[in-house]
Amino acid sequence: MEENLTINPESADKWEVQLRKGSLELAILAALWGGRLYGLEILRHLESGSDLVVAEGTVYPLLTRLRTLGLVESEWVESDSGHPRKYYSLTAAGRERALEMGRTWARFAASLNNLLTPLNGAVKKEKP
Amino acid sequence: MTLPENSQKAIDDYLAALRRQLRDLMEEDMNDIVEEIRAHILDKTTAGADPAQVVETLAALGAPAELAERYRTDELLKRAQLSPSPMQVLHRILRLTAISVSTLIVFVVSGLGYCVGGVLVVIGLLKAFFPRQAGLNIDYIPNQSFSAGFGAGSPHNADHDPIGLWLIPICLLLGAGILFLTFRLGTWTIRKFRRSRTRQYA
Repeated sequence: MEENLTINPESADKWEVQLRKGSLELAILAALWGGRLYGLEILRHLESGSDLVVAEGTVYPLLTRLRTLGLVESEWVESDSGHPRKYYSLTAAGRERALEMGRTWARFAASLNNLLTPLNGAVKKEKP
Repeated sequence: MTLPENSQKAIDDYLAALRRQLRDLMEEDMNDIVEEIRAHILDKTTAGADPAQVVETLAALGAPAELAERYRTDELLKRAQLSPSPMQVLHRILRLTAISVSTLIVFVVSGLGYCVGGVLVVIGLLKAFFPRQAGLNIDYIPNQSFSAGFGAGSPHNADHDPIGLWLIPICLLLGAGILFLTFRLGTWTIRKFRRSRTRQYA
């Protein structure tokens, strides 16, 4: 029984990975809220606006997936750099989904924070 | 483009490997992905154009097999399950023959399955709409000759047709069954080979 109570650092890391993964989709949709961006711009936006460490190899497949789902659309645009870039923008369905996910996220965060109040003192004490 | 030669080669090699890993995707999707990754690499490296930056960028993307796998788990599995189009399924299987020759057999069997199933469905429909012109045609003269076939076009001789309108449900059900099994065989093969390839790189 006692063994089950000890924290397994590996599973704690996995939880964090899942959490990041799950929120990345919403973060990308939110990044596109202001207009079209290409992959690297989205990456830079995510890195500058948060401490989310985003793996580049994760964002591009995710963008493709969002396009398959019809939440974003893409277009190739010629650039001064000599090669075309693939720009993404939100579709109507994407905007709706972003709003919906944003609301769910806010509700979820508030509920969980509520549940975490008993921990608050302990979490603060732990900090050096 | 003023990239040093060996950096250019590293990029080309990476993209070629990625393309190989994605070959079971539709051609258009594959090109789209490879071109997007190429643009990403060029955007991140032309500024400095130093080899270290290229190495760093490619490392950040992950190995081609890993990157391809991320695309595949998200996109392709779903598509292979959803798209019942015989052309798409056959196209995918044909691509897999590059990995394993045994899929060539599946390709031939699937092609035959789609043909036989399709023809049976057509026969069933023809009989439904032209019951007098179409039907089973069995010529049997004792001890002399026997021929069986499907007749269409000429006025149909009911004496030579022992099952009559029963041909409709038999052909439609059998045809649909064969088409369904062929489709299942195709998607099963596509998934199986994709999985075995994933394990190889895991």
